[in-house]
Order: sequence, then C-alpha cells, then structure tokens
Amino acid sequence: MTTIQTTSASTIRHDHVARRRPGLLAALRWELRKLRAQYRARVVLLIAVLAPVFIVVVIQGQSRPPKDTLFGRFAIDNGFALSLLVLGFASQWVLPLLTAIVAGDVFASEDQHGTWKTVLTRSTSRSRLFWAKTVTACGFATLVLVLLAVSTVASSWVIVGHQPLIGLSGQSIPAGHALQLVAASWALMLPPILAFTCLAILLSVWSRNPAVGIAAPVVIGMVMQLVGALGGVEAIRPFLVTTSFETWHGLLAEPRFSGPLVEGLLVSAGWCVVSLAAAFILFRRRDITGG
Amino acid sequence: MNGFLAVDAQGVTKTYGSVRAVDDISVRVAAGEVYGVLGPNGAGKTTFLRMLLGLIRPDTGTIRMFGKTWEDSGVGVLDGVAGFIESPRFYPYLTGRANLEGLALLDGGTPTGLLEEVLDVVEMSDRADQKVGGYSYGMRQRLGVAASLLREPRLLILDEPANGLDPAGIRDMRALVKRLSGRGLTVLLSSHDMEEVEEICDNVTIMTRGTVAFHGTIAHLRTMAPDPGHVLATTDDVRALRLAEDQVGITVARDPGAALVVTGPPPEVSSYVGSLVRADIGLLAFTPTRTPLEALFFMLTDDATHQFLDRSAQPQDALR
Repeated sequence: MTTIQTTSASTIRHDHVARRRPGLLAALRWELRKLRAQYRARVVLLIAVLAPVFIVVVIQGQSRPPKDTLFGRFAIDNGFALSLLVLGFASQWVLPLLTAIVAGDVFASEDQHGTWKTVLTRSTSRSRLFWAKTVTACGFATLVLVLLAVSTVASSWVIVGHQPLIGLSGQSIPAGHALQLVAASWALMLPPILAFTCLAILLSVWSRNPAVGIAAPVVIGMVMQLVGALGGVEAIRPFLVTTSFETWHGLLAEPRFSGPLVEGLLVSAGWCVVSLAAAFILFRRRDITGG
Repeated sequence: MNGFLAVDAQGVTKTYGSVRAVDDISVRVAAGEVYGVLGPNGAGKTTFLRMLLGLIRPDTGTIRMFGKTWEDSGVGVLDGVAGFIESPRFYPYLTGRANLEGLALLDGGTPTGLLEEVLDVVEMSDRADQKVGGYSYGMRQRLGVAASLLREPRLLILDEPANGLDPAGIRDMRALVKRLSGRGLTVLLSSHDMEEVEEICDNVTIMTRGTVAFHGTIAHLRTMAPDPGHVLATTDDVRALRLAEDQVGITVARDPGAALVVTGPPPEVSSYVGSLVRADIGLLAFTPTRTPLEALFFMLTDDATHQFLDRSAQPQDALR
C-alpha cells in the first residue's frame, strides 16, 4: 500500500530564503558521486589496470614476436618496445571505447533514467550542469589513460625488462631516456583521447541514447582509420583525430620531428571545441519533454 | 518579493510542428492559494507546467513566478519554486537518501537536519537507505515530494500527483497537499480528476486542446454545473418514459446502454420517482451518474459542446 504521511509534526519552513546559487564545484561533486556509484565506471578502471598486465604476460610468452607491427620485433625482449606496441594497439579502438563508456553515457543516461526534469528544476543552471558533466567525462578519460599507461609501462618494465630501446631510426636509446620517451608517447595520447571524449559527449547529447553515445565514437574512429589508410586523401588525413594518435612517432625518430605533434594538438583541440560548442548549443536549447 | 503573483503566465504558446500543445493561455495564481489545472489527457497541462519549470521554452508569451522571469533571472526564477512533472524520476543505482543529498548539492546545500525532516514528512526515513531502483511507484512519488520540500518552496508545482497511487495513497496525497497549503504554501497542481480538484483547489483552469475552457473559482464553476443525472432501471421502462412526459423540469432519455437517465433538479426528480411508485412501476436501480461538476467538466472539454466554452470562459476570475 502506498501512503503519504500527513500527520507528522514537521516544522518545515516555507518562508522563502534567497537560495545560495551553487557553483560548478557542487555540480561536479554530484557528477563524481554518481560516477563512483556506477558499476561500469569501476569496471573500466579495473580493466585499465589489469588488462595491460595480462597482455604483457601473453605477448612475453610468445615464441615469435609480432614483427609486422611498430616495435613488435623487440616486444618480447624489451619492456619499452612492448609498452609502445600496446600503445599502438590501444590507440586503434581501445582508448576511444574506454573513454566513450562514460563520455557517451554522461548526458544520455539522464534521458534513459528520465532524470533531466529532476536535476534541471533545481538551482543549478544548464550551463553549469553541462560543464560539470564535461569535466567529469574528460577527467575520467584522463584517469583511464593514466592507469592504462602506468599499468602497461610498469608491467612491461617488471615482466620483460628495461634494456635500451632501439628507436625508429635504428638508434639506441638508453633505458632512462627511453622511459621518458615512452611516458611522453603515452601522454601524447591525451589530446586525441579528449577529442574522442568531446565527440562522445556531442553524440550523447544529440542522440539521447547511451548506446549511440558509446558505440558511435568507436565506429567513427575506425572509419577515420580506414579513411586515413586510403590513398588520395592526403588533404584530409591531418584533420582526422586518429592521425593524432601517431604523433608520438616523432619522439622516437632521430632526428626528432615535431610538426605532426603540433598539428595533432591543433586538430584535437579543434575537434574538442567544435564538438563541445555543438553539444552546448544543443543542450541549452533542447526542450525536456520526456521522463 | 511580497505582492507578486506566485505565477503570472500571459499569452503562453507552445507549438510542436503543426500541433499547438498550448495555445495562448494565461494563468494567474495568487500566493497562498491551491490552484488546479484540469483537463483530459493531451489538453496541454503538462506542457504548461514544464514551461513554468523551465524544461520547455515557450514560443511566445511571458512567464513570471514571484515577479521573476527566465529571461531576467535564469535559473533564479526557480528560487522558492519546486515540484515534479508526471512521475518523479531518480537515479536507480543510488539510495533515496543519496539522491536527495545530490539534489541538495544542486540547490546549493540545505540547512542541517532538513533532509531528515522531509524524509520524515513523507514517511520514508526507514527506506531512505535502499536503492531507488527497488522502490515502488508510490515510494518514488513520496520521494518526489520530499525532493520538492527540500527546496523549502513557496510554490509547489505538482503534475497529477495522485496518478498511479492506490486509493489510500490518493487520500493521503490530497491530505498532504491540503496540509502544506494550510501552512501558506502556494500549490499549483494539474489533474484530470474533477473530484480531486474540487476537493483540494480554490481556483481552477480547465484546459482542452491547449486552450483555456474555463478559468475561475470552484464556487463559480459549481454555479455553471448542470443538473445532476441518475440512471434509472424500472420494471416497465416504456410506461416510465410515458409518465416523464407529464413531468415539468426533468428530462428522461434512454442512454446507449438502454437504461433510462433522469436529469433535473432534485425536487422534480424526487416528484417523478414518487409518480413511478404511485403508478406501480417497480424501481430496480436509481444511481447517480456523474457529479454535476464532472458533468460540467466533460461538457467543457467535449468537442461537441465547444461553443459552450466561449460563453463560459472567465479569464480574470482567478485574480480576485
């Protein structure tokens, strides 16, 4: 039986007090609290920590190295090479997927649960909610990347070893310097990952469907890689987010080249700005009719 | 702030494609009253309430709440305003308490002890630490009221609050609304139940097809109500109908279900029933059809009697 209590000696006040306007931090705390409570976010973080260890163990146990991939030739003998092999593999679709699991869901899940009408009738503006969700998704993407990188590099270092690395130009890179370059290579994944995160946010806002928000960025990433691999598309290749996943190559060549790196940063920033601007406008203007 | 209307909506219109969900309606709710927005499903009630709460942007018209507009004050227009649209929705993977704590964050915090207090008011204290995903409909409804009270509102907007509740829940929800209004809270509620509005509200706007069919006090509405009707079953309907021809002030007709329906002022109906008895016609059933206000509601919202609306609409009555 459903009952609404009517006899409480409550002293709830109905005299109006001008409400303190909550800042971005309050909305951010709320988003983080929701994220912490979600099973799938914890699973993604767990995968980011454990999967590299498993992959490193499996590859190290192979009798023949995967020679047809970048740094694959040295992967079973050199921990740095193995870290870079995993990096190249992760950037294909793993990183876009792991980040899209939260970014593609962060807006659409409100539609799924019908909770827009709950949160948008409080004292936090749509703009603040938008930025709180965006910061949460970008923060999560960064955390996933950091965990994946640390786990990969650490497990490769421990399991395979830390001998000097043979660079892309055949040069020998001392272990200490190689570690810095491997770390920098992983760090260079951040701009394109954030670009994918912002794209997932846009798709989440636009589609209002978590499945689309999560799957579409991965599919788009694969299409971009396919397009990038085709001949005759040199003009558009630099503008693909997936091209930015390769900018770390310049760090491991001799002499180093930074042109693609700068290009990649600018392209990723462009994707972020355009995606977020479109998502923001869509979100601000939409009518909440469901739920 | 004092002296402002709780709600002052003027010429509000919302169109979806070729459908005018809300067509140039004006509603004014004075502070402290319990105001009903009544209408059948699809009349535009929920769209109107969504516009008040900023969930939907009107195409034209202005909405002021306690003197503030969305254009001037942004989300500040909701200061002192709370409520829910249709069934309240929460995050199923969080407990009821965690949901309220989160919403309190979005309100800029709440005074110490208020959260426990509102949980107590809706009798949810003992279930607050369970995940909302396991709540019944009625429990979510109660949590919705708690979430609204957490804002310490002066205006409570409730969209069909009794919808989906069992009879006890409906009774208690109505009592809660009355009790809150007794403390000076302005309540604006929508309903498709005339009885509910008649029981709770001081003033009412009746909507149909996005327009205002009636706007005024419940007392005024009662004066417009038609005579009560009764379904009559006799041992000889043919003679009963013939006898009715001699009665002044009543009408007796066969309804589509083949029963007789008597309509008229109670004294005349009573006189007619007496004549049936004197004529040795047995009475098998004599049951009221709709209440007069229900009958009026159906008249007001019925397409066939739409011209009636033009004569009845009293747009200024709500603001006395």
